[in-house]
Amino acid sequence: MQYVIIGSSAAGISAIEAIRTKDESSKITIISDEKNPLYSRCLISYLLAGTIDEKKIWYRPASFFKDNKVEALLGIRADKINAVEKEITLNNKEKLKFDRLLIATGASPKLENISGIDKKGVFPLRTIDHTIEIQSMLDKVKSVAVLGGGLIGLRAAYALKNRGKDVGVFVKSGSILSQIIDKDAASLMQKRIEEKGIRIFTGVAAKEIIGAKSVNGVILDNGSKHDCELVIIGKGVSPNIEIAKDAGIKTNWGILANEHLRTNVEDIFTAGDVAETNDIALEESSMNAIWPAACEQGRIAGLNMTGESEAYEGSLAMNSIEFFGLPVISVGITKPKSDKYKEIIKKDTSKNIYKKVVLKDGVIVGVIFVNSIENIGIIGALIKNKADVSRVKDIILEDYFDYGKIAPLIKESKRGFREPEFKETIMTL
Amino acid sequence: MHLKKIYCDIKKCLGCGSCEIACAVEHSKVKELNNAISESPLPIKRRKAEFIEEGVSISTGCHHCENAACVTACMSGAMYKDKKTDLTQCDKDKCVGCWMCIMTCPFGALTRLREEKIVLKCDLCPDRDKPACVEACPTRALSLGTFKEFKKLCNM
Repeated sequence: MQYVIIGSSAAGISAIEAIRTKDESSKITIISDEKNPLYSRCLISYLLAGTIDEKKIWYRPASFFKDNKVEALLGIRADKINAVEKEITLNNKEKLKFDRLLIATGASPKLENISGIDKKGVFPLRTIDHTIEIQSMLDKVKSVAVLGGGLIGLRAAYALKNRGKDVGVFVKSGSILSQIIDKDAASLMQKRIEEKGIRIFTGVAAKEIIGAKSVNGVILDNGSKHDCELVIIGKGVSPNIEIAKDAGIKTNWGILANEHLRTNVEDIFTAGDVAETNDIALEESSMNAIWPAACEQGRIAGLNMTGESEAYEGSLAMNSIEFFGLPVISVGITKPKSDKYKEIIKKDTSKNIYKKVVLKDGVIVGVIFVNSIENIGIIGALIKNKADVSRVKDIILEDYFDYGKIAPLIKESKRGFREPEFKETIMTL
Repeated sequence: MHLKKIYCDIKKCLGCGSCEIACAVEHSKVKELNNAISESPLPIKRRKAEFIEEGVSISTGCHHCENAACVTACMSGAMYKDKKTDLTQCDKDKCVGCWMCIMTCPFGALTRLREEKIVLKCDLCPDRDKPACVEACPTRALSLGTFKEFKKLCNM
């Protein structure tokens, strides 16, 4: 058996670990266009901020490939997949046969279609190389413009503020983190971020990046100019589906995965930011380009590549972010768009606490917790398992709402809560 | 499953909180109640006695899940399954305080240290034969063992 994995971040690494739990000896080859892929992509903004030292970014040991008997083709790109011949062509023209293939090609930062984007000093923040390049020019940077108020944009802004830079964030939409949280939660976060000296401009977009060779400013769509020596583009990511598409593998936004994380081609699997899977809360096919989903998908795809038949329960949007000591976590649908959904909200503005659950037909489909985040995983379990919460909905946002309160729901649930630990804990109830 | 961990027999649990105190004391510097309560910062429990309904309680903490969501979600590699014991452990030198484990733990078993930016969890008291909470439980609702042993203990 020859396993080949394209992509060596969260999904690819998890797949290796999963394959090796079932198959110790078959050959695994991994292809990555990054030379040192064993870092945690989520930690690069921490590195840029200087809040962790470089060695913390390596989330698996340097000997990982050797320990797992993996042939690692690093700094090499897979150019083409021949799904019929089961063969991959690399950018060095070499060819590679596979019996089972995992496409975990991830996603690339969306770059603004504005003039001046190719000037020196304009960066996305996606890879460790971006971080290193940004770091190397920081001595010459006084002021930064961050384009985009999403997760990456704000993480970059936080990091650069921490490095003593003057940071302005330009957010096209009306509020920050608009893909993840609602306006009330966003305004709490924005207040904290602004109190710490990052300037946020909502409803403003960049029109042009100016400067000779290097950036010296951004022209905004309101006509004003923002002086800066560094521009960070934080406009989200788009999945790297081209190689699959060209091979005739079915794609939509991402590569379409079935419940076993197989593509429409029998021996080709997909996982991670490139994969499009069933969203548990939306109950439709969707993209959730997040670390935990990539790891879980990688694990399940890896197992199924060895011949197991493990089902993936689906993905769920979830994010955890903290700025200047104020954390926010959101899961599932947080900004419902129709009146089929109901919301329960609890606020304590003096303590920066905001809690909201979103319900549909008596089942929680989304949650946001700001500052008081401790028991959010319990709400997440209710979402995942589609538990009927009608009997606890009056106390669900109380601080004392804990695992004990959902124990009876688990006992009553007929379909959900399949993990053995749920059964073990409530067996004596 | 040969994993040895802490189980709670809900029928015997009074919700008295002895497990919480014993846990905090065991994870203090001095490991002794009278002095532990004057430590600064105060020692922190990794176990909770939780009220289910009138007269029914459960003592709960990390269940060292077979397929642990916290380990899968951990983006720094801090949370891991111990290969020998199958326990879920957190390497605090690797933890960066991203709270992904808190986001995904269905039991609410992780405690956040806001300032230090790390999480705390049940480590099954590595310095003791029997975890402190199990020893402290006045009704023997808590036990350490395999699931098979727990079932036997509960006559199930």
